[in-house]
Amino acid sequence: MNPLLEQFLSEAREFSEGIGNKLLQLENEPNDQDAINELFRLVHTLKGNSGLFTFPEMTRVLHAGEDLLGMVRNEQIEYSRELADSLLDAMDFVMALCDDIEKSGVISTRHLQSTERVTDALRALMPVLPDTAETDAGAKADRAKFAASPQALLPLAAVPTDARVEAIRHVRAGDPLHWIAYTPVKECFFQGDDPLHMARQVPGLLWGTVRPTQPLPSLAELDTYSCVLEFHLLTTAPREELNELFRYVPEQVKIEKVDLLWQAVPEDGQAYAVQAEPTEVPSIISQEEAVAVEAILSAQQQILGLDDQSAWKAGRMRSVASVLRNLSQGLGQDADASDIEGALASSLATGDGAPLLQWMEKHRENLSHRTWRSDTVTTGNEPLSRETATNSMAAGGIAKPVAEGDIKFGRRAEDTINGPRSLKVDQAKIDLLMNLIGELVVEKNALPYLAQRAEVQYGVRELSREIKGKYSVINRIADEMQYAIMQVRMMAVSVVFQRFPRLVRDISHKLGKEVQLVLEGEQTEADKNIIESLADPLIHIVRNSLDHGLETPEVRRASGKPETGKLTIRAAQEADRVVIEIIDDGKGIDPNVIKRKAYEKGLIDEAASERMGDQEAVNLIFAAGLSTAETISDLSGRGVGMDVVRSAVEKMNGAVVINSELGKGTKIRISLPLSMAVSQIMIVESDRQLFGVPMDHVVETVRVSRHAVRFIKQSMTAILRGRVVPLKAINALLGIPALAKTNADDEFAVLLVQVGGGVMGLVVDGFRETIGVIQKPLAGILSSLSTYSGSALMGDGSVLMILNIRELI
Amino acid sequence: MSIEFNEEEVTFRGVASVEDAEVLLDWLQKNPAATVQLGPCSHLHTANLQVLMAAHPTIASWPENPELRAWLEIALKSEL
Repeated sequence: MNPLLEQFLSEAREFSEGIGNKLLQLENEPNDQDAINELFRLVHTLKGNSGLFTFPEMTRVLHAGEDLLGMVRNEQIEYSRELADSLLDAMDFVMALCDDIEKSGVISTRHLQSTERVTDALRALMPVLPDTAETDAGAKADRAKFAASPQALLPLAAVPTDARVEAIRHVRAGDPLHWIAYTPVKECFFQGDDPLHMARQVPGLLWGTVRPTQPLPSLAELDTYSCVLEFHLLTTAPREELNELFRYVPEQVKIEKVDLLWQAVPEDGQAYAVQAEPTEVPSIISQEEAVAVEAILSAQQQILGLDDQSAWKAGRMRSVASVLRNLSQGLGQDADASDIEGALASSLATGDGAPLLQWMEKHRENLSHRTWRSDTVTTGNEPLSRETATNSMAAGGIAKPVAEGDIKFGRRAEDTINGPRSLKVDQAKIDLLMNLIGELVVEKNALPYLAQRAEVQYGVRELSREIKGKYSVINRIADEMQYAIMQVRMMAVSVVFQRFPRLVRDISHKLGKEVQLVLEGEQTEADKNIIESLADPLIHIVRNSLDHGLETPEVRRASGKPETGKLTIRAAQEADRVVIEIIDDGKGIDPNVIKRKAYEKGLIDEAASERMGDQEAVNLIFAAGLSTAETISDLSGRGVGMDVVRSAVEKMNGAVVINSELGKGTKIRISLPLSMAVSQIMIVESDRQLFGVPMDHVVETVRVSRHAVRFIKQSMTAILRGRVVPLKAINALLGIPALAKTNADDEFAVLLVQVGGGVMGLVVDGFRETIGVIQKPLAGILSSLSTYSGSALMGDGSVLMILNIRELI
Repeated sequence: MSIEFNEEEVTFRGVASVEDAEVLLDWLQKNPAATVQLGPCSHLHTANLQVLMAAHPTIASWPENPELRAWLEIALKSEL
């Protein structure tokens, strides 16, 4: 895939989302002119971009959308929900096309039908406005005419007789016959079209003409960049080929299948021939046609009169009979045709052409002389009258040159180049940068060790101090660099939020609920990975809120709430975490219902159910396999959802908390780290081994005197800042056969950690520094060790195991 | 430039592009009695055709390509 296409696809997605947003915005404020303008601009730009590639299907749909919005913008039609639905449908379709292109590089043909359907749906919303039909030179008027009575008004009289005879022959042979009226739009030259070239490309051309749609102006007034010609063509090419050829300009082309009985002659001066019903035999033919018929008949006579080898004679007779049969049928004289067969048979039997000649004599009158008109034959170039021609010649001589200041297209040299102010960068490149800075952070940690060695091992104190000095500089730069790269990876949560208006709208419509969605803090930023992994859990929660939480308008009214429910999604940054809250003012979660369900599903036993507090019961909705919905809908209620939400959030080192008040509503709070790349780790020592503890868990480090430690049964506790804190020795937890050491004052080193809402103390041998590390997950056989969340490389090259505090305790 | 302008005569060679039309129009206004040589022309952009149709110059030679010739004759000949 070339870079241009890649960029187009990524932009198309952005645009499509933007379009969706504007549509929803308009739903609330249908008269917001700015939003309409913006919407029009988006669709217009997207259409223009799609034109750079060979995606006529996409361009067509967008073009229809653009036309429709143009009318909305000009206040010719009003914005409505149906209109929004059609446009949203169209955008979904465009996205489907994009997916196709991304997968295979082309749009598969199966979309052709949908293109028609979607485009028609959009066009159906456009009223036919008389003034536009008139002003838009010919094209629309023609289209309307064709649409009004297809097949009825083909200007077939313009076709010269020889072409018609040829056409008859083809139709008789079973070839399709198509009439093409190609009226390029005025601006078509700017779109890179060359209508003449297009016409020359038409396969199976029998006849074609080109003429101006209106009398050509004088040379002085002629605009070379405005196309005023139209083409009419008669071809034997199959419809699909023609559709393929004109796939970029389907709205400028009218292709009609032509039946055989089209050769009726026009009334005087009428450009359009009335097409006769097959039963009505056309009774008149033009003089020219009569002459042609005469010529054909004479030729047949000559053929029959040839006197040569009998081997070819039978073939000649069959050929003559075939021509005569076609001719009489072509002229609508089927009755005459019947006895040709008889004549042919007797000619073949006798080996003499006489019976056929007799037939010709007998029917000559009928075929050619019966009725012919004395009018001149209409030619294709009729409208280009002699008078206009002379005028323009005369004017041409004395005309002024084209006025200065006329817009000259195609000359863009003076256009100022506005460089893009933002870059689109492949995420892989950023990830590479991130990995490199990670390595740098780790490597720089080696410098203090080096300084230490310089001093202790080699006794060069001076050098040691210099290394430390350099270290602090490098440390600062690396920190800033890391911060800068993290900023690059930062994305606003609006990326995820922007899909909610549409989601909420669609779901609430489907459920028959009225919901007002409030989004807050959309500019809150977090690491791209975090934001992206947030999307699915959030959708689950929002669906749940809409389906189970918010009530229908009737129920709400009955319980004294406003009919329209309110769903708030709020994002905010709190220290180094991003917090997202989803708040609805629905019916809340009934702890008793949850308890009962959980009991029925066998998730808790009776005793547990009795003991359980309300908050604990509400937390049960995070348990796998629990669904409280009475019926399973396609939205939610399958019992998957909230447990998936929790595991997804916890995978990112996040936490999810739910608060619910029966009858008032539910609040779900998700808290996530801002970035996952570099984590702060505190190093602790125990039995001469080092372990890492994520700083997220660390509350404080304290020294506790041996005397202050109390034993309650087997458990150690200590009273710290007025509360009882359970203590656990890390050696015991990890199965290290050693006792915790104390310092010179007989004090234990205790690391206070926060786990699942409570605080507890880890007794270690000593504390070391905190460092930023890139945590690597444990791979292979080690990955089953749940007590460690991962490992990190230290500055001196050693491996630091990082404790998973939650699992450890 | 695939259109050659000589005194009172213009010759189309190869493919005449849309940009040529403007020059052609200019020139034909200054030389209304010009004759046109289409013989070596293999294609001309519709914009050029339009100019020729409006200007009705004398066609001194028709394109060698029979199919293009047919098109141009339909467009230009009926006027002469």
